[in-house]
Amino acid sequence: MVRFENVGMRYGAGPEVLRDVTFVLEAGSFTFLTGLSGAGKTTLLKLISIAEPPSRGLITLFGRDLATAKPSALPALRRRIGVVFQDFRLLDHLSVFDNVALPLRIAGRREPEYAHDVEELLAWVKLGDRMSAKPPTLSGGEQQRVAIARAVVAKPDLLIADEPTGNVDPEIGARLIRLFAELNRLGTTVLIATHDRTLVERARAREMRLVDGRLVELRMPRP
Amino acid sequence: MSASNRIVPNEKGTAPLDVVIAVMAFLAALALGASLVAERAASGWSEGLAGKLTVQILPPSHGAARQGLERETAAALAVLRTTPGIAHAAPLSQADQLKLVQPWLGAGNLVSDLPLPQLIDADIAPGSAVDVRALAQRVKQAAPDSILDDHSHWIGRLRDLAHTLLWSAYGVLFLIAVATAATVSFATRAGLETHSEMVALLRQMGARAGFIANAFEWHYFRAAVTAAAMGAAGAAAVFLAAGGLEVAGVEAVPFLPPLALKPIELVWLLTVPAAAGLIALATARLSVLAALKQIH
Repeated sequence: MVRFENVGMRYGAGPEVLRDVTFVLEAGSFTFLTGLSGAGKTTLLKLISIAEPPSRGLITLFGRDLATAKPSALPALRRRIGVVFQDFRLLDHLSVFDNVALPLRIAGRREPEYAHDVEELLAWVKLGDRMSAKPPTLSGGEQQRVAIARAVVAKPDLLIADEPTGNVDPEIGARLIRLFAELNRLGTTVLIATHDRTLVERARAREMRLVDGRLVELRMPRP
Repeated sequence: MSASNRIVPNEKGTAPLDVVIAVMAFLAALALGASLVAERAASGWSEGLAGKLTVQILPPSHGAARQGLERETAAALAVLRTTPGIAHAAPLSQADQLKLVQPWLGAGNLVSDLPLPQLIDADIAPGSAVDVRALAQRVKQAAPDSILDDHSHWIGRLRDLAHTLLWSAYGVLFLIAVATAATVSFATRAGLETHSEMVALLRQMGARAGFIANAFEWHYFRAAVTAAAMGAAGAAAVFLAAGGLEVAGVEAVPFLPPLALKPIELVWLLTVPAAAGLIALATARLSVLAALKQIH
């Protein structure tokens, strides 16, 4: 599903924020990416989500080498990835419903086709009564749930989330992790960047740890 | 797409763009209206004078002027009336001739004492071909002080003037279209800059360049149509006001054709917002696609 080989990344002429990163995410796996702030977690997620090209190394996604993929092939690859951003990146002028429906509109589906799916998903993340609300009127936790609903609505092959439980209470956090686990059970590969140790310990999933831009630890789940 | 789920939001601070497009549309509608007036005038002048001949008999410089004038008028009339293809030929009465010079010389005894030439109006029968040059020679032989005018020179000059006005108006319309496209292109790039985070998000979600361009092009299409409709409405008001002045008997400029537009011509002004919308649509699309090509 995802293969990194000796990947390095630097912004402009700055220092390398990722160095010689090598790993494989198997299809259907559930993985945590941990590390302190500034360790390079967000940069790694950007590379996986094809938001940035690497400075060096090889990235293979869904069997395609990104270095040789034509620019016209990238949108289709990106549509197979759901991303939960740390800062949510909701469109403030759109309603909760329209924010969540955005990936489906991009995929070319029309409202009558997706309205039921979106409503059902919003009910699941306990936002069924806020569908018409605009993001600025929501709490941080509610905005995060909208961002997560938007990331999973198109049933992506790969879901990556940057600190998805950072702004929600423990109950909602556990519920969201259950949602990710359910998606994983249905075949979605999940990668979650977090520094919430409790979450990682409780989930008993594979953990990749970044320290100063290097992947130093690959811990497999305990049996 | 309903107003509530437009991907590109209505921005604050775009009033200058709306004003520029409204002014462009106002000028474009004036130019378009002027072209319609010029076109109507050209055909009106041509139709009004085509098939008409005028013979002017100057007062003879020798002999008894009055008698000579009457004799030459009768001779010229005889030639005209016996020429195949001439449907009608008649001299203008003294009163009609005085009416013609009245705007310049005024009325009164002084004018009636002037040695005015005698004018003869002649009509060519519709569909008939008359050799005007040969006719002029025959009339000249019969009445040596006569001049035959088929108005072709005058019609030609009026037609040239109208065509010059027409092509000038088209030129102005073209320049306004170019200026509108440049304005929208600039605004689109500014809009892309303003919404760069949103564009990045859409690309991250797998939106193709065409999807993003579509969101922007409809945004600027709506803005351009709305602003241009206001500009065109302003120009329509000007033409309606010109019509009102003519109804009230106030002539804008003597000799110029009526500046008021007929209802069917006013409908043509609707093409201005439509064209502005299409220009904005195409320009915004091309600008967005060009800008997105430069992004990873």
